[in-house]
Amino acid sequence: MSTRSADQEVSRAIARMKAGVLAIIFAMLGGGGLFVMTAWLIIKGGPQVGKTLNLLGHFFIGYSVSWPGAFVGLLYGAVTGGIVGWCIGMVYNRIVGIPSASA
Amino acid sequence: MALDKDDSLLSNETKNAVVIGAGPAGLTAAYELAKNGIRSTVLEADQLVGGISRTVNYKGYRFDIGGHRFFSKVPLINEVWDDILDEKMLIRPRLSRIHYRDHFFDYPLQAGNALSGLGLMEAVMIGLSYARTKVFPSRQERNFEEWVANRFGYRLYNIFFKTYTEKVWGIPCTEISADWAAQRIKNLSLVEAVRNALLGGGGKTKDGKIITTLIDEFKYPRLGPGMMWECCETRLEGQGSRTLRGRRVERVRHTHGKVECVYARTDDGELEEFSGDQFFSTMPLRELIGALDPAPPDDVIKAANSLAYRDYLTVVLMVKRDKVFPDNWIYIHSPEVKMGRIQNYKNWSPEMVPDASRTSLGLEYFLWDVDDEWTWSNDRLIDLGLKETVALKLIEADEVEDGTVVRMKKAYPIYDQFYQGHLDVIRRYLDTITNLQTIGRNGQHRYNNQDHSMLTGIYAARNVVGANYDIWSVNVEKEYHEETVRDEKATGDRMIPRRLEPSDDAESLAPDAVIRAAFAKLDPVAMGSAVGLVFAVSLFLATVALIIKGGEVVGPHLSLLGHYLIGYKVTWSGAFLGLIESGISGFLLGYTGASLRNWTMSTYSNLLKRRADIDQSKDLLDKV
Repeated sequence: MSTRSADQEVSRAIARMKAGVLAIIFAMLGGGGLFVMTAWLIIKGGPQVGKTLNLLGHFFIGYSVSWPGAFVGLLYGAVTGGIVGWCIGMVYNRIVGIPSASA
Repeated sequence: MALDKDDSLLSNETKNAVVIGAGPAGLTAAYELAKNGIRSTVLEADQLVGGISRTVNYKGYRFDIGGHRFFSKVPLINEVWDDILDEKMLIRPRLSRIHYRDHFFDYPLQAGNALSGLGLMEAVMIGLSYARTKVFPSRQERNFEEWVANRFGYRLYNIFFKTYTEKVWGIPCTEISADWAAQRIKNLSLVEAVRNALLGGGGKTKDGKIITTLIDEFKYPRLGPGMMWECCETRLEGQGSRTLRGRRVERVRHTHGKVECVYARTDDGELEEFSGDQFFSTMPLRELIGALDPAPPDDVIKAANSLAYRDYLTVVLMVKRDKVFPDNWIYIHSPEVKMGRIQNYKNWSPEMVPDASRTSLGLEYFLWDVDDEWTWSNDRLIDLGLKETVALKLIEADEVEDGTVVRMKKAYPIYDQFYQGHLDVIRRYLDTITNLQTIGRNGQHRYNNQDHSMLTGIYAARNVVGANYDIWSVNVEKEYHEETVRDEKATGDRMIPRRLEPSDDAESLAPDAVIRAAFAKLDPVAMGSAVGLVFAVSLFLATVALIIKGGEVVGPHLSLLGHYLIGYKVTWSGAFLGLIESGISGFLLGYTGASLRNWTMSTYSNLLKRRADIDQSKDLLDKV
């Protein structure tokens, strides 16, 4: 294969997502992110700790800005992030798999 | 090449081959034939074997014609060298510099060294010239000048490339095809560039050692390259093949598409006939076509006579000094002198001189056979060489105690703008002669290095025993060799080239596959759609969850999104409005993210490619 055609092959190639990998990355970001945010507010302290972040409890039952809540949030964030990542990966791959979409 | 049925019915033991020329291609062909049980007669016009890779011996001083480093990226060739030579080759450090305006410049060029030698003002001018060609490059790289200037700038090209190239080839750089430069210096593909950046450019041997590049060190036989071919001649004798020196082939008789015999003139003037089943020619194509009997059609003769060659001579000076300079060779760019390069044979191998207190210098002149200097007497040429070497301030005149001259005709095939057309005409005709194969540098009119010439000999010999190699592909298609390397693992047969195919050989292909995957583009539309869909559904579900949950004030905080998503509220109608608006926002976010990622990867890959191109061009002079 010539240099030019090898480069053309790379430039034409469309990346596929590994939905599982994307799910893990999003899960780590979501779970880790929520845990760190919660922990930061607890350490920072104040009269009303994490008034706004507490609202997540509407969606994540059992979550609150407290140390036990931080671990509950870690799980919720990871699950939600994982689902979001997996969905993005799957939907992306499905669309890329449609010939006209990737042409 | 298509073998006759009659030939294929013969057993190897009864086949008889005639090889014209005892250079690397001819001797390697005979060596390969012998390994397959076929005896051959090698006819050499000169009294020395090795062709341009010979070693001339003058009073115990040994000279290499042009300097032959033993280094090949083709594993088989390295094996053949090790197999032929009955001792290990020396590993020699490489040092070569450029001599210009009384200064020595490191080669490959080093920025600091070059700029300090040229001075600040010149350095600024070079920088400006380089910047100018980067901003306004020659859009079409039609000739060598444009090709080099586009990469180094005109000023650097004029100083370090123009003079030497024109000395070697004898024609202005503006008349040398840019294709030639591109052929000598392969551009790397993106995958190769990234692989080199990540893993290093030298590659690895089977045992995982990094291959040192030709720039750093090389192998060299203790007594010069001719030692290799003299050993090969001896081995051939032991295998029943013979090498006859002083046989200049004058006539190649053929009939019904087959060569029957060749006639060679001995140094005594006698004409000898050599018949065989298979014939291999390393003769210059011009001479081969002229020797064919009956003569080919006029257009073939005309094409052959149009092929041009550059001749070469070395003036060797024996100097009464143990060390003159540390380089293996020096490129002479100074336009005031005619010589193009100086070899210091002692630095190739200490045994190239008979006395350690002496040094022999080879002053190389590149000429046409119609140039005056070509016909000068040895004394006159030695005098010219002496004066020029003194003018370059390398030696004093009274240090030279002896000298000699070695001439080599047709050392370099010329690639002018018409040569390819002529070559096509000649090849078409030669293809009609089924038991004749042309191999080697002059046999194919191709500027092959020693290893590629040898490879043509090996392939041609294997064609006789049933293989079907296109020997004209050697040194043209880079992957021809790369495939060969790859096939070693897959089939165990070293030299069966095949088209590249997807393979399960994870070890060899995994890095390339990873690189390709890493640099593949994200589809922005697909990414936008995916993120948009996830955003839309997420907001819809969050809104619906709050509505179902109810309360006095439903979702007061999520309603704040209405600042960004116009009309959005935590209501059923707001849920659908949010679905649409967050979908659009997500699409834009995903689309932009994917586009930015593609742009970053593209910029990064262009950077790697440019670095790789510069690295590839570093040893440009070696390839001239």
